[in-house]
Order: sequence, then C-alpha cells, then structure tokens
Amino acid sequence: MTKISDKDLEGLERQQDGFSRRTFIRGTLSAALAAPLLANPKFVRMARAMDFSGKKLKFMVIQPHAGSIEPLSAAFAELTGAEVEAVQIPFDQVRAQATLDVVSGTNDFDVFEYFYTDLGALARDGVLADITDRIEADRASVDPDDFLGSLYDSYTLIDGRRYGLPYDGDTHVLFYNEEIFDRNNVQAPTTWDEYREVSAIITENEKADNIFGSLIMAQQVPVIIGSSFANRLGGFGGNFVDADGNPTLTSDAAIAAAQAMLDAAPHATPTPLETGFGNSIPLFLGGQAGMIEFWTDMGTWAEDPEQSKVVGKWNVVPMPVGGANTVNRPAMNAGLSFGASAGSANPDMAWEFVKMASSKEFHAQVLVNNKTGVDPTRKSAIPIYKEFAPKQGDVVERAIQDAFPWPKNPESPKMMQALTDELGLMMAGSKTAEQAMGDAQAAWEDIAG
Amino acid sequence: MNRRLYVPLMTLVLLFFTFPIIFMAMVSLKGQADISTGDIFPNVLYWRNYPDAFGSIALDRYLLNSAIVASFGALLTLVIAVPATHAIVRYRIGRNWLPAFILGTYVAPPIVALFPLFFLLRNLGLVNTHLGMILVYGVMNLPVAFWLLSSFVRRLPVELEEAARVDGVGYFRTLRSIVIPLLMPGIASTGIICLILAYNEFLFASFLARSQDTQTVPIGLSLFQGDRQLRFGQMAVASLAAMVPVYVLAVFFQRWLVRGLTTGIGK
Amino acid sequence: MPQTLKRRAPGRFRPSGRVIARLTTTPLIVGLGVFAIYPFIYLLGLAFTESNLIEPFQKWVGTENFQDALGDPRFVGSLGRSVLLAFLSTATAMVLGVAVALLLDKAVKARDLIRTLILLPLLTPPVTAAIMWQLLLMPQGGWLNGFLMDLSLISEPVSFLGTPTTAFLSVLLVDVWQWSPFVALMSFAALQTLPSEVYEAAKLEVRSSWTVFRWITLPMLFPALIGIAVLKLVIGFKLFDLVFVLTAGGPGQATTISSFYIYRIGIQQFDIGLAAAMTLLFAIVVGLATVPFTVAHDKAEDRLS
Repeated sequence: MTKISDKDLEGLERQQDGFSRRTFIRGTLSAALAAPLLANPKFVRMARAMDFSGKKLKFMVIQPHAGSIEPLSAAFAELTGAEVEAVQIPFDQVRAQATLDVVSGTNDFDVFEYFYTDLGALARDGVLADITDRIEADRASVDPDDFLGSLYDSYTLIDGRRYGLPYDGDTHVLFYNEEIFDRNNVQAPTTWDEYREVSAIITENEKADNIFGSLIMAQQVPVIIGSSFANRLGGFGGNFVDADGNPTLTSDAAIAAAQAMLDAAPHATPTPLETGFGNSIPLFLGGQAGMIEFWTDMGTWAEDPEQSKVVGKWNVVPMPVGGANTVNRPAMNAGLSFGASAGSANPDMAWEFVKMASSKEFHAQVLVNNKTGVDPTRKSAIPIYKEFAPKQGDVVERAIQDAFPWPKNPESPKMMQALTDELGLMMAGSKTAEQAMGDAQAAWEDIAG
Repeated sequence: MNRRLYVPLMTLVLLFFTFPIIFMAMVSLKGQADISTGDIFPNVLYWRNYPDAFGSIALDRYLLNSAIVASFGALLTLVIAVPATHAIVRYRIGRNWLPAFILGTYVAPPIVALFPLFFLLRNLGLVNTHLGMILVYGVMNLPVAFWLLSSFVRRLPVELEEAARVDGVGYFRTLRSIVIPLLMPGIASTGIICLILAYNEFLFASFLARSQDTQTVPIGLSLFQGDRQLRFGQMAVASLAAMVPVYVLAVFFQRWLVRGLTTGIGK
Repeated sequence: MPQTLKRRAPGRFRPSGRVIARLTTTPLIVGLGVFAIYPFIYLLGLAFTESNLIEPFQKWVGTENFQDALGDPRFVGSLGRSVLLAFLSTATAMVLGVAVALLLDKAVKARDLIRTLILLPLLTPPVTAAIMWQLLLMPQGGWLNGFLMDLSLISEPVSFLGTPTTAFLSVLLVDVWQWSPFVALMSFAALQTLPSEVYEAAKLEVRSSWTVFRWITLPMLFPALIGIAVLKLVIGFKLFDLVFVLTAGGPGQATTISSFYIYRIGIQQFDIGLAAAMTLLFAIVVGLATVPFTVAHDKAEDRLS
C-alpha cells in the first residue's frame, strides 16, 4: 500500500472542492472519488492479482489527457505494485515520438496512447504490439461487445488484427449559447442551412457588441479544420472513402459540406482560418459566440464559474444535417486508445495496463472525473455518463453510437494534411469548394497511387 | 543627437519591445473568460494562474533542467569557441575554408539531422540525459559563437599579444591574461546569445528529453500549446518564470560588457 | 598589465604558438565534425535512397527525391518565401537594431536598465511569443484591432493572420520584434570596441550626429555589422517555431516557409528521404543567399585590418 502524503491529500481536497462547485455533477461522482477502485472485487479479479512490484511501467499520453495520468498511475500501482511513470506529449507529436522510441531501439515506453487515425501507420511500422490473441484469451474481462457501435473496430482493428483498446470516445456536438439565442429569437438549428441563417441573424444584430453567431474552427491543422469539415460531411451523408477505401471527396455530399463551411464563414467569428482551439474556447466561454462545434469537454468547462461566463446558459444539440440527408451521422473527430509498445521489455505488464485503462470499471471512474475529458466508449458507461452530464448525455450517446471514421490507413496523416491544405486554400478564397475538393481528391488518389 | 528627440524615440522603442511582455504579464493575471475582451488589464484579478501553472506542469523541474542544460551548454560553447576563434583569426588556421565550413554547418535546418543525432546519442547512452543535451547545445551553437567572436578578436590590438610573446609569456597565459579580458564584451554578449538559444531550443529537446528528469521549459510550454484548452494565463506565468532567470543572468553578463569596455580597447 | 607578467626561463622547450593554436581548434573541429558531418553523410544517404524512418536506405533511387522536391510547387514556393522572409526580416532588424544600439550609446539615464529591457523579446520563449502575438492580433477581442479602430484608422477588424499578405507581414513583424534586440545587443557591443578618441574628436569638430554616423561610425562598424547581418540572415532562414504556432503555414500556403514544410514532410509525414533531399536543396539556397555577404564581410574585414 502506498503512503498518502499531505500533498496528495491537499490535491484531492482541492479536486473535491472544485467538483462541489459544479452543479450538474451528481451522486456518482462522490461515489467514484470516495470508493477506491480496490473496493470493487470484480476489478481486482480482472487484474488477475498480477504482481509487478519492483517493475516500472512508463506510458505516454497526449497533453489533453494529462488529467488522466493521476488516476491511471494510481490505479495501476495499487493493482500491480508496479512503479508508474507518465510522459505528456503535445497531441500532434504522439506518432513521431512513439515511432522514434521503438525504431531507434530506445524502448523507453511500455504503453502509448494513440489517435486511431495513426493506427495504420503505427501498426505497419511495428510500433504497436499485436494484441489480438491476448484480447481473445482475456475476452471475459475485456468484454469487447460492451464497446459502443463501430468504435471498437475503428479504434483498434487494422487488417484483421487488433493493436489497442479504446480509452476516449471522442466526437463533436453542437454547443450553443441559450441566452444569445433567446435574445435573437432563434432556435437551435437542425440543418446546416438553418445553422448559417441563425448565425447570420445573431451576427447581424450583435456584431457591434463583438458577439457573433458561430465559431468555425478552420485553422490549418488537420484535427482542427478537418473536424469542422467532417462534421458537415457527416451531416450531408458523405464519407471520406467508400467501402473499398477509394476517396470520395468529389461526391455531392463532400462538395456540399465544403460549400456549407465556406458559406457560413462570413457570419462566424472573424476569421475561421485564425480560429483554433486556443482562441475559440475563451470566446465561447466568454459569451461572445452563439455556437461552437466541440468535444463534450466544452460542457464541463462551460459550467466552471472560474473560467466561464456562460454557466447554465448553454445547451447542446446533435450536429445538423444537410441536403437530402435527414439522419445525423456524426464524425469520429479524434478518438484515443492505449496500445502496448512492440518494444516493451515487459509485454505482460504493458497488456495489463492497456486492459485496465479500457476496462468497464476504470472507464466508469475516469468518465465522471472532470479532469480527464474522457467520453464514453462503452455501452455500460452510458447511464453513468448521462447522470454525470445530463445535458450532453443523450446527444453524446447518439453521436458516438454510429459515428463514421476518418481514414486510418498508413497514409492517413498525409491524406489529412493534403485535405487540410485544400480546405485552407478554399477558406482563404483562393479556390472554390469544387476546386478544392477536386484537388484534394486528386491528391488522395496520388497518395494511394 | 537632439535631446528633445531622444526621449520620445527611446520611449517608442521601449514600448515596441516591451509592450507584448507587459501584455503577457497582464494575461498571467487573467482568467480564461477575460482573454479575448480586447482589454490590456484584467477585469478580475485571477491570481490562481500562479500556483496552477506550477501544478499543471512540472514547471519547477523544467526550470531546473533548462538552467542546467542551457548554462552548461553555453559554457561549453564558450570554452571551446573562445580559444579556437582566437587561434583561427590570429593564426589564420584553415585559411578561408575553415570559417566557411563552420558557418556552413549552421545553414541546414536541423530537422532531418535530428534522426542521425538521435541514433548516435542513443548508442552512446546519452538520450534522456543532461549530459547529452549539454553536448548537443554546446556544439550546436559553436558556429554562432565563432561567427560573433571572430569580429571581436579581429578588433583586438595585436601589439599587446606580440609584446607578451616577446616577453616570453606562454600561449595560454597570454590568452587568459590579455586576450580574454579584452574580449569580455564580446564574450559576454556571445554568451548571452548562446545561453538564450540553448534555453529556448525546442526541436532537439522534444526528442532527446523523454521524461521529466530532463525535459526543459520549451517542452513544458509546448504542453500548454499542445492542449486543446490553452490556459493562456498559466502559460504566461510559466513563460515569465522561465524568463526571470535568464534575465537576471543577462543583467549580470551585461556588467561585464560594460567593464570590458572600460578596461578598454581605446585606451 | 603586460609588465606584471613573469618572464619564462629562456631555453625551455616551448612549442610555437601556431602549433598550440592548431590544437585549440581541435575540439571545435571535432565537435562540428560529429554534429554536422555525420548527419550530413546520413542526409546524403537518405536523399539518394528510398527511405522512411523504419527502413532507411532501402534502395538507391538516384535523384528521384530531388526531382520530387523540385516538382512539388509547394516546396519551391516555400523556398521563395523563406528567402523573402529572411531578407526582409534581416534588413528590418538591422536598421531597427542598429538604431536602437546608437540610441543606447547616447543614453545617459538608466542605460543599463534600458539595455536589458530591450533584450526581453529575445528571452521570450518563441512558443509564448507566438501565442501572445496571436492574442494581440486576433480580429475579435484582439488588442491591436481595437486600438486601430479607436484611432479610426480602420473601420472593420482586420484579419491579420487570416489574410495571406498580412499573415506574412505578421510573421515578419514578430520575427523582427524578437530578433532586433539581438542586432541591438551585438551592434552595441561592437560600438564599444570603436576607438573613442577618433570618435570624440570627430564629435567635437563636426557636431552633426548624422555626419559622424555616416562618415565615422558606420565605416568602422561596417564589417561587424555585416557579420551580424549574416548570422541574422541564417537564423532567419531557420525560423520555425513562430510559423508553427502563429499560422501553421497558412492561410493557404502564405506563410509556409521551407523549414516548416520540411518539418511537415519529415516529422509529420515521415517521408525522410524526401525531407532529406529538401533539406539539401534548402541548404544550397541558404548558402547561395549567404555567400555574397560572407565574401563582403571578409573583404571589409581585410580592408579594416
């Protein structure tokens, strides 16, 4: 048993203090915090009483998941006696860092957190260990059928083999500022046309006060502008690639999606090309924008009185639809899993960690922890999540169920960069939507070539 | 110059260079909702950024690591570059090709060179060590130091050294007692530059430092930047904290800069 | 000072200064050899083979990588932008930096304080500098737009980072802000090495600051200034962090300079064979751009000594 220092206690108290201020967090939370994981007999059994005392496990997480380090480390240390060290990496560097670690033979790390879009490359390059057989052998405790919809395959499966287990089921939903909407007598949009109209009305009325109808994040970084495009692509019923993996960027849906982005830009906070995560979040939290497409974390931040002026004044709806499409198909924007490093000196230990991080019990714990920013990956987690975040609960449940993935073949990073460049040129006014999509399609075909 | 012109000009210059820093100091006192108001001053003082910045990244550890690798790196640069530059300029070692070679090693962007260096340091067991980073920074800035120092060496009056040689004073003693004191303004300013370049270096640090034991401030700052919710206030705090030690060192170095001037060349 | 130095006993063996001088350059040459030549050979190997990080040097492909690089309009465009940015920022930073150094030289009150204050931009971590300027330049809630609108210089917020021309100029502005202090520091140090008698005498006789500067200070300072400019130029070519954070190369390709493009190809897309070829091509461009200045520098130095 590890000794708890005063500093830890202080930290925990501060954490609880912070939580207690948040009105929308109910029952489950205190239970989750107070009851140590060890009190859950099922969880202990899951770990098969593995003893790794004297060993050291090192894992890599993306910076946005820094809040997960503490719970992950503590839980694994308690379960197995291993010493745990974590290293945070900026989100755009995970693939390079993980690959270099294994390829150079440095093998510092036992476990990597990865974006599913990098899965093809990481598997091809031998960075992640193939854990298909371990999953099969441990099927009862992994319980893969409990993962939501297509998420399990999208996040972990490539060429019939599995390389990790899901940790954070990311998807975008549409947040809006109810106060601004009421003031302008508008309703939450259900189509991308309505979205543009609503945005135009608000901007028209309140521009003088520096309030705009919407925030469109179109900074030229794949996960930023790519997500905004994907949200519309799903709305118009499109896809990045067809069933055979051929690019479909010149489909009517794809062009309509790009066009919708372009058409909405004049009514958005100036200017979409400059809008990334960093500057858009304070704008929405400061009550200076009517709508933003974002991960569900926004709901947590919006309820924090210390950083938000919109506490209790926001709401959330599913992504709008467009064209002839009437069924909302959300995009899997980002989405993270843990995988065991192919270079780990202790594959058993690495596997236990991956398994624990994705387990039902642990997932339920981090899901209701404000600091982790983790969204549901499992069916069993949905009721817990709905209680934790009643406003987002339903929307997120629907969104994650049947989200469609970005490409995840080995060339995906290159493809998304090419698409990003074209969308950027379009937003800068150098190309029409049709030209941009045509050029992106050509680039994708060339890359697949 | 006209003194009436001097004061407004200097004020303008100072404003241009310090305004973004003052702005940053103000951001360090702002909560997230205060960031995009367009005001310079915070509407509400948000002191929590200060403790929080140290809580959300291992800032104290990063500061220590930065201080270690940058100061020893800059020291290494100077220890190698000062005698070498003096020798190359005074004795025309390597004629024209050596200076050209030295600058030539500096022109290529280091991105691809990162991989072979990483493999090399790994084989030497120097990845993720202070020593490895000190070596990299020490050598990396040699061309800068050589290039900056050489123009100072050229300006040294050669007579003093010749007199010493005639008097039978040894090579290193001449270096230590005559050359280095006279070079002090050059060494101080070059030292500051090398220190800053090493202190703020990001690319190598992000691949060579692979745990909190060695990660430096720019890595810590990139973690703020690499997060989705950029904590502007905390980032400003971390940056200010990072700048203070270098600033103090620069002030300290600058005293030498002035002293070198008064022991001076013109006398 | 020299008279206090003790004489050495005559007749004891003493290697000639030249030999020792040669020896003292060894660490520098060895250090740079390891740091530069070994990676350079590796780079050559990558550039002429099909390579990725997993399997470098798969097979000899001749100049294919170079052809690919030169056939990529984005890369070629980035070369042009790198050259433009490096020269513009060097020229601006030189003028501004030297002016500041001259001002500092005149300063009587608080000279030391002012001199260290001016160093602050150089001390600012590039990532932070980029973020702070981003906040200042934002169209909505950015300080600069508000300020310009208060002065009625503009009626609508300007999207500095979202418009190709202004985005490029913004990168230039921040780079000049960050690196002028470097020029100021180095030229100030160089100013201190000027023989003060000539200077004082000239000042007494001529009395016009501009004449003194133009005919006395500048010619004497000239070699040192070219030296500083060469270094600023090379550093300008290597600019990376700023673009990475401030604009990510956008909008479109407006601020995609070579160092950033090579990073994308090498680190984000892992095509290190192509990235190596681009690095070599870029190094050649930087070399060609720098050589006239180093030659001028050598000539000026020779003339002075």
